[in-house]
Amino acid sequence: MAKVEFDDVSKVYDDGTGAVDRLDLEVDDGEFMVLVGPSGCGKTTALRMVAGLEEISGGIVRIGERVVNDLTPKNRDIAMVFQSYALYPHLSVRDNIAFPLKIARLARDEVRRRVDGAAAVLDLEPYLQRKPRALSGGQRQRVAMGRAIVREPKAFLMDEPLSNLDAKLRVQMRADIKKLQTDLGVTTIYVTHDQVEAMTMGDRVAVMRKGRLQQVAAPEELYEKPVNVFVAGFIGSPAMNVLQARIEGGAAVVGDARLPVPRLAAYEGRDVLLGIRPESFEDASLASAEHPRLRGHVELREALGSEVLVHFSTAGRIAATDDLLELADDLGDDRAAARATLVGRFSPKTRVREGETIEVALDPDALHFFEPSTGVTIAPR
Amino acid sequence: MRPATLGLRFAILAAFAVFFAAPVLWLVLAPTKADHALVTSSPFSFGSFHQLALAWKHLNAFSDHIYRRWIGNSLYYALSATAITLAVGVPAGYGLAFGRFRGRKLILSSTLVVMIIPGAALVLPIFLELNAMHLLGRSLSVILPFAFFPFGVYLAYIYYSTALPPGLLDAARVDGCTEAQAFVRVALPLAKPIVALVFFFSFVADWNNFFLPLTVLADSSQYPIQVGLSDLLSSTPSFNPAQGGGGQSVNIFRPELALATLLAIVPVAIVFLLSQRALVRGLVGGAVKE
Repeated sequence: MAKVEFDDVSKVYDDGTGAVDRLDLEVDDGEFMVLVGPSGCGKTTALRMVAGLEEISGGIVRIGERVVNDLTPKNRDIAMVFQSYALYPHLSVRDNIAFPLKIARLARDEVRRRVDGAAAVLDLEPYLQRKPRALSGGQRQRVAMGRAIVREPKAFLMDEPLSNLDAKLRVQMRADIKKLQTDLGVTTIYVTHDQVEAMTMGDRVAVMRKGRLQQVAAPEELYEKPVNVFVAGFIGSPAMNVLQARIEGGAAVVGDARLPVPRLAAYEGRDVLLGIRPESFEDASLASAEHPRLRGHVELREALGSEVLVHFSTAGRIAATDDLLELADDLGDDRAAARATLVGRFSPKTRVREGETIEVALDPDALHFFEPSTGVTIAPR
Repeated sequence: MRPATLGLRFAILAAFAVFFAAPVLWLVLAPTKADHALVTSSPFSFGSFHQLALAWKHLNAFSDHIYRRWIGNSLYYALSATAITLAVGVPAGYGLAFGRFRGRKLILSSTLVVMIIPGAALVLPIFLELNAMHLLGRSLSVILPFAFFPFGVYLAYIYYSTALPPGLLDAARVDGCTEAQAFVRVALPLAKPIVALVFFFSFVADWNNFFLPLTVLADSSQYPIQVGLSDLLSSTPSFNPAQGGGGQSVNIFRPELALATLLAIVPVAIVFLLSQRALVRGLVGGAVKE
């Protein structure tokens, strides 16, 4: 086991495309680090540079104390789980798991012992003689995990290992992988574009965008104290609502509503971006009388049992900066930014109905403010 | 579909089938008949097994069992050349598919260009080259040119670049393989269908090649079967009246010639049967999520 360190690491492809831009990141010994970000943010490239599958254009990658820039993958003592699983189709499950050990010329008894051990941990014993094509997606995924853990490597690298599974299995495997990693205590770098995976699995989460690291923090901190509007919008589902606001007389003016914000005296008379998490909204009839209110028109009501998602429009303008447009694009929703609705997560007791005009209360202590030109968080709470 | 339409379709298909099958059938039946019966009896009648045995006896006796020798020569040339083709062509295709080196595109397009040059066009320059190397008249003069098989390289290239997921090679590298191990332990075992295909095409091309061995070999004991057949043809009185015919020691007539031709097809048919089983097997299933 070892820590993994990116020291000012960059990747520029031969055609001049920059994939990773001066990445500084330290993954502690035994830590579960998640790299997350929208497609093309450089997270997979960063991982492949650790694996040795991608040349490092600049900077230094260390595994343990060793600089690995010029080492072949073979000499880095890492194991990797691929999005496609990359099982060897001509080999049985047993031989797939044993493959790295045989290449390393371990004694036959030792190979058998380790493969049996991994198969027991991963519930693969009944399938050891099968070929990969005779396995389900979840079983293939576990074989890929098995091939990684028998190595007893310095670090695990996982490249979206769950993205080919269906939703239910994904939830199960998420917990399994996290538990396995905790038990083994092996330093792990896990790449995903799914912020739920990132939040539930990572000891710390590194959010990347366009090759640049945005923020590294524990999941809660990332959620509560995002450094910019991109991180704020990326983490959380449904995504944070971001509105155009103007600070006037110690209050943020949004449409016809005035929200008191004593902290922003320095921004008096200026525009800001106001971020509100869906759970910071509540049906006014169910909220504290002191909470400020917005008037909204209910466009859509989604009852989820434990909560009700209410999409409503207001007089306030939805912000549409580059960051937010990119996030919407990543969600495959090109209308999101243009759409003038906010999302609130209401108590299931709410009686609001589609088409109604309602009062929406919001928690004044849970507001986020961002600089409109740079997207950087201002006056963090 | 109306019966009339169906009938018309059937008639057209049957007419073409008969057109192409008739010569084959004639050839299969020819060795069972005596030479004169070939022209006098019904073209599609069966002669007798006795005649067939007689034809084989004559053919076998011709020039001191030289027919068997020709078949042996052909096997030797075609198998040796095909072995070289596989040993070189499959790794070359792999290298072109996954290697990133200067000149890769150039090599790839030259492979394509050379592939479409007819073999016969190169016989003269190859002859001059072999002459300069003092190889004329030796088995290498046939095997070396046969072994040059750009189509095999191209087939392997196409297979590797379309059917082998690059992720598998990455996995092999991370699992500790050197580049050579990744090829031998992962890429090669997965290429069985393409090895079979290249084997088949290369073997058939070598087996059927007539012009090159005719040019570079002088001694009829070195001939492969295709050149031997033409030798045989010129010993048949019906095609070469100078041979005189009956009464001489050479007993090669049209039935013997037909038998020789038929037997020359057998090895190719066997190779086809052996390789087609490997061809249809889809080996890459289950490697990555479909």
